[in-house]
Amino acid sequence: MDPIAVAHQNLTRRQLLSHAGRLCIGGAAFQQLLNAEQPVHAAGLPQLPHFRPQAKRVIYLFFSGGPSNIDTFDFKPALRNIHGTELPESIRNGQRLTGMTSGQKAFPCVAPMFKFQKHGQHGTYVSELLPQIASIVDEITILKTVNTEAINHDPAITFINTGTQQLGRPSMGAWLSYGLGSMNEDLPAYVVMISKGRGQSQALYSRLWGSGFLPSRHQGVRFRSGTDPVLFLANPPGIEADTRRRMLDGLAELNQENLDRFGDPETQARIAQYELAFRMQTSVPNLMDLSSEPKNVLDLYGPNAGKPGTFASNCILARRMAERGVSFIQLFHRGWDQHGNLPKLLRFQCEDIDHPAAGLVKDLKQRGMLDDTLVICGGEFGRTIYSQGALTENNHGRDHHGRCFTTWMAGAGVKRGFEYGVTDDYCYNIVRDPVHIRDLSATVLHQLGIDYKRLTFKHQGLEHRPTGVEPCRVVKEILV
Amino acid sequence: MLQKHFYVIILVFSLLRSAGAQERVDFNRDVRPILAAACFHCHGPDANHREADLRLDDRANAHADRDGSPVIVAGDPSSSTIWQRITSEDEDERMPPLETKKELSTAQRDIIRRWLEQGAVYDTHWSFQAAERPALPTIQRVESATNPIDYFVLAGLEKRGRKPTKQADRETIIRRVTFDLTGLPPTLEEIDRFLDDTQPHAYERLVERLLSSQAFGERMALTWMDAARYGDTSVYHADGPRNMWPWRDWVINAYNNNKPFDEFTIEQLAGDLIPGDDVRAKIASGFNRNHGTTDEGGAIDEEYRVEYVVDRVKTVSTIWLGLTMECGQCHDHKYDPLTQREYYQFFAFFNQTEDRGMQTRNGNAKPFVDVPNFRDQRLLKEREPVLATATRALASRRSAAESSFQSWQSTTEPDLRRLPPNDAVAHLPLDAAKTAEYRDLVNSDGKITANGETESVQAHHGRGLKLQAKGFLEVSAVGDFDNDDEFSYGAWLKLAKNSSGAAIAKMDTAQSFRGYDLHVQGRKFAAHIIHSWPDKAIKVVTKKDFAPNQWRHVFVTYDGSSKASGVKLYVDGKEEEWTIEQDGLTSTIRTDKQLRIGRREKGSEFRGEIDDIYLFERTLSPEEITAISGRDPIQPILKIATGDRTADQVNILRDHYLNTIDEKYIVLRKTQERISKEVDALRKPITTVMVMKDMGKPRMTHILERGSYASPRKDEAIEPGTPAFLHTSDQYPKSRLGMAQWLVDPKNPLTARVTVNRYWYQLFGHGLVESMEDFGSQGSFPSHPELLDWLAVEFIESDWNVKHIWRTIVTSSTYRQSSRVDKEQVPSDPANLLLARGPRFRLSGEAIRDQALAVSGLLVRQLGGPGVKPYQPAGLWNEVSLSGNVRFKQDSGEKLYRRGMYTYWKRSAPAPTYMIFDAPTREKCAVRRARTNTPLQALVTLNDEQFIEASRVFAQRVLSDGGATWEEQAVFAYRLATSRRPTDLAIRVIRRVWQSEKTKYTARPDLADLLLKIGDYPLGKQDKTDLAAWSIVANLLLNLDQTLTRE
Repeated sequence: MDPIAVAHQNLTRRQLLSHAGRLCIGGAAFQQLLNAEQPVHAAGLPQLPHFRPQAKRVIYLFFSGGPSNIDTFDFKPALRNIHGTELPESIRNGQRLTGMTSGQKAFPCVAPMFKFQKHGQHGTYVSELLPQIASIVDEITILKTVNTEAINHDPAITFINTGTQQLGRPSMGAWLSYGLGSMNEDLPAYVVMISKGRGQSQALYSRLWGSGFLPSRHQGVRFRSGTDPVLFLANPPGIEADTRRRMLDGLAELNQENLDRFGDPETQARIAQYELAFRMQTSVPNLMDLSSEPKNVLDLYGPNAGKPGTFASNCILARRMAERGVSFIQLFHRGWDQHGNLPKLLRFQCEDIDHPAAGLVKDLKQRGMLDDTLVICGGEFGRTIYSQGALTENNHGRDHHGRCFTTWMAGAGVKRGFEYGVTDDYCYNIVRDPVHIRDLSATVLHQLGIDYKRLTFKHQGLEHRPTGVEPCRVVKEILV
Repeated sequence: MLQKHFYVIILVFSLLRSAGAQERVDFNRDVRPILAAACFHCHGPDANHREADLRLDDRANAHADRDGSPVIVAGDPSSSTIWQRITSEDEDERMPPLETKKELSTAQRDIIRRWLEQGAVYDTHWSFQAAERPALPTIQRVESATNPIDYFVLAGLEKRGRKPTKQADRETIIRRVTFDLTGLPPTLEEIDRFLDDTQPHAYERLVERLLSSQAFGERMALTWMDAARYGDTSVYHADGPRNMWPWRDWVINAYNNNKPFDEFTIEQLAGDLIPGDDVRAKIASGFNRNHGTTDEGGAIDEEYRVEYVVDRVKTVSTIWLGLTMECGQCHDHKYDPLTQREYYQFFAFFNQTEDRGMQTRNGNAKPFVDVPNFRDQRLLKEREPVLATATRALASRRSAAESSFQSWQSTTEPDLRRLPPNDAVAHLPLDAAKTAEYRDLVNSDGKITANGETESVQAHHGRGLKLQAKGFLEVSAVGDFDNDDEFSYGAWLKLAKNSSGAAIAKMDTAQSFRGYDLHVQGRKFAAHIIHSWPDKAIKVVTKKDFAPNQWRHVFVTYDGSSKASGVKLYVDGKEEEWTIEQDGLTSTIRTDKQLRIGRREKGSEFRGEIDDIYLFERTLSPEEITAISGRDPIQPILKIATGDRTADQVNILRDHYLNTIDEKYIVLRKTQERISKEVDALRKPITTVMVMKDMGKPRMTHILERGSYASPRKDEAIEPGTPAFLHTSDQYPKSRLGMAQWLVDPKNPLTARVTVNRYWYQLFGHGLVESMEDFGSQGSFPSHPELLDWLAVEFIESDWNVKHIWRTIVTSSTYRQSSRVDKEQVPSDPANLLLARGPRFRLSGEAIRDQALAVSGLLVRQLGGPGVKPYQPAGLWNEVSLSGNVRFKQDSGEKLYRRGMYTYWKRSAPAPTYMIFDAPTREKCAVRRARTNTPLQALVTLNDEQFIEASRVFAQRVLSDGGATWEEQAVFAYRLATSRRPTDLAIRVIRRVWQSEKTKYTARPDLADLLLKIGDYPLGKQDKTDLAAWSIVANLLLNLDQTLTRE
């Protein structure tokens, strides 16, 4: 038989469906429209996952601004000895500094102005700022040697979220929506929620959850507190649900007439699009309604759990979304840019997140979901050992530092009670086991059953992948 | 996009199948794509990563003998290493290597085999060969063809035994072509006129009307704005505001004036370099300032400056050449014959500009130019002669009034009250060239001592005194006043930025500040008259602030009443309102400290300039102060005998006479001033726009190692140049201007093809070349290569006539086909690549919103101007903005109803209505928009305030203009939304929905009130339950598939 004809036949019905006939929010699919013998989810790439995934979903707690690694996790008692001494040139070693401190005359080292204690079975240092996270230290892996080339917010946060400092590339969540599709047709595959701390807030950009060159349905959908958790979700004042229903029935009838006339499958998709929108008007408010959460669960997330728009409230919502099949949930908490007044402001920031983040891990665990949910917690870079501005008895600041910073992960095949990577005595350079932010991305993809080299999208003549063209690796050492 | 690739695969397969397996393979169509995808990465143009010194993209290299073991033996696959390697059973031997995961399919191998058998013929990549006008193919259905486009399309269909679809009906085609050429729906009048036009060429006339409407330029500009990464903000970090809209307006006008595409290109890429200094061309060059710029405190200037140049290369190569040149930033291109050196040669064209890496978060960054008020140029042209007439009338009245002036000047007596008083107790004119030579003109015995830094400088008239650090004058034996004395004092003052201090003081600071002064307090003037500070003292301060760096006459009068109300402050001869800060003076202010100019006895040092100091031992009248301040120059002249007055003095009197006494002159002057003001305003630039500007001394370009700004290969200078694999640029200057001219050289094989392909995409939903951004070897092969070339040659030979190409395409039979989907043909060509039916696709977000505004009658058709901020949900900006303090401030009035393309484009948080409908963020060049259908889109058109308001105003329109009966109203509404007459079913459904909601809102008028309150537009006077019910129907109609889609 003609080999080309064979190839043609090999283009299966499934590929046709997944490429041609789909309709998505984020990535949700409507195979039933085309009478497919498909499971409820899918609509990702047919070849995915590449291997058995450990994680079904990811919850990424992103701390925007550059949380201080030195004052939270990357502690060594010897730091106390170098307090107030000048950072040796041998340590800085030609590192480029931001325009904010490159003109500074002195670079006095600052030991954390917080107490550190050892916690958990392995005696892991955790700052007094994070007592709740200290209590789950046996559940998590702490990576102390995450690093990036970027030294300023915009390029750094774009880099870690989209795999490059250049603009126009898809975010990690968009890649996953594109590759894996959605597990719930009523909800997007990729959801973003934002909360604000009391420190200086750096800007966020839609590109951080954007779809770049991928089809735009893969962009992250922002969920917000208030009457319209999804933009334009609520019927306007004066239009009640029964009116909307009758109007949509009329709409469907006329669209059906149009389908009969023109026969375009797009019209079929349009009919379904409106039904799904109507269903979202119920399913999303249900999702956002925390009144069914018992007090003991709310308590896990700390005192702000019931306050809409807080990081704590967003953490519970993240769990509820995870339960409903949202596969990539990203929380941005703002305010981690402590160039000055660090001792006071960092305390506020940690207060915001300590209880909720630890509570989320505990809650997932008690529901048996931690086994297949990957929780990631970190920012775009860390902060310098030296003080930005004057170092006084009880005050100082720290500038941006990309050479090493701390991120922690939990669940979905990540080692429990584990620390990875060693920095030098000044928390300035990596001594052992570097983890580039690309490695971090490759590892996240790996846990989702994706070979980062094989998740590609052709754009402008190039096969793009989420980690870019530079080499990277899966950090297998942190995996069970 | 993926799905389109997939269709291309199916199409190519079906082409091959129908043509039979023994047909000759075409290198460019069949073989190159396989080699490019699987082999070029290691055996291609990139010399640094080339394995085994093998280039499969190069015929000579690929066919080389290689010491007797050639990779390719023409006509003999089994002797060719390439065939042995790609079919090897040994996994380590087999190509492509396993780890690249680029395994060849059986079908692909078969193509390679046949290619080898047929002689392994190479050919230059199709898009790098100049396009030639192909002969029209022979077709059977000549009657179906309107113009050459149809010949090529029909030939393709007939080859596969397929038929075109019949032409769309008139209601459908007017809607399609109106949206395609203007982005707006046709009005009912336009539809009816077209339906009633039974003359031949009604459609062609319709097309002409649309092509000449201003909306054509707007529609074309919107697509160009995506490509040109246009925005109203700066993208990086703070993403602050900027003014690039004059560039956007230039684009609209260029399309409307049908500026040839070559000029359109040259002006945008190098308008600043075109001789002649045309400000419009400079504005056009703003094209390459649209990219994002940073203002982040820690950013490194050079890093971003390089980033901007990289962006320009990428944007220009994508838009004009359809090449992925950016690959060359780090290494030789892997697939196309572009070396890294050539990349930097091209980069060098853009590497000469003045703009810096660190730019601003607030407004336009240098270089920029003033934008004249183009819009009102015609008005200006009208008003300028009117101004000239008014000015002439003024001059002739001046002559005519001369005799009455002469009699006035010889008979008018001076008003003594208005003469400067001559009883000063001290007058320091400070006109001497040296401060040591200062004299008191009244009291010649008094001693004036200069201390500290004092300097005689040029003052407003004559010289004056400049006081700097610790400089002051001491004047002996004057100004010895008490609290029950009348006295006045003051001077001319010119304040510096911070002048706070005592300009004139006789004050004993050690004795609770006893004495008096004239004090400068920031930008206010104050007087202290003190027995003891603070409670036994007077202090008054002007309410107004006075800007520094101007000479002002400041005077204090005091009537000896010991009350603040007895103090007056005059500035420039005019009494100023003041605030009382102290009013408790009880007894003597006398002190033996000397009068000081520039400070008190101690401290309160005044910095600035001072001139013409006077002291009087009485309260001066307002007229006297005006006279002293020189504000009334008339009286002193009148005092001079008529014959003794100088010419200048007579002129002053004449002006005074004409301006205040001659009534005819006064009227004429007012008219002239009004017109003059108007003309001045019209001449004033309306804003600035950022432009390109090369540096005086060219910047050296170097290859950047791995593309990094920090690693230039300094040992070698790279001169500007164009890639060698394309036509030569030797005849052009080695500048951006020359580069732009090279782009639109008729020999350029890419520019015309790439451009007409984008036009085709805009009209058919997909390009003839699917990979619009990549015409290189990794791109797709055209579905209709001859048609593409015919259009490209037609474009060039029509002198790049944009409207001509659009007219040609939309008047073709191919374009005018019905979009009805034939169930039989969908499976073989679901994406309609063969063009057997008309194009049907969802409208853009902008068009959907514009349509809702147009059918409701809300749309405001103003052309151009600054971006507008219509409704959007609260909080979207400040939730993400730097420090959370950039808030969206919604506009009101007409700005709520402008076309969507004018919506303010904040690139870190673009307007959600459009983003949800697949608009790009415009942070980077985008030449295509996805067309998805998502429930989030349904929520926009169902619930967005803009659409709910439009539904309500649409309802108002239906009730007021829709006719007398319900049926007439329903037909009117349906036609407005869909451009076609409703079916019986449609009427039935509308009636059912209308009836149910009428019932509901009658029972619940409170809900009707809530619904009708939405939006700023005034509510109609109609019955509220009617309006509410029709609003729901309108909302339904605006959400119909037919409304959202252009058939």
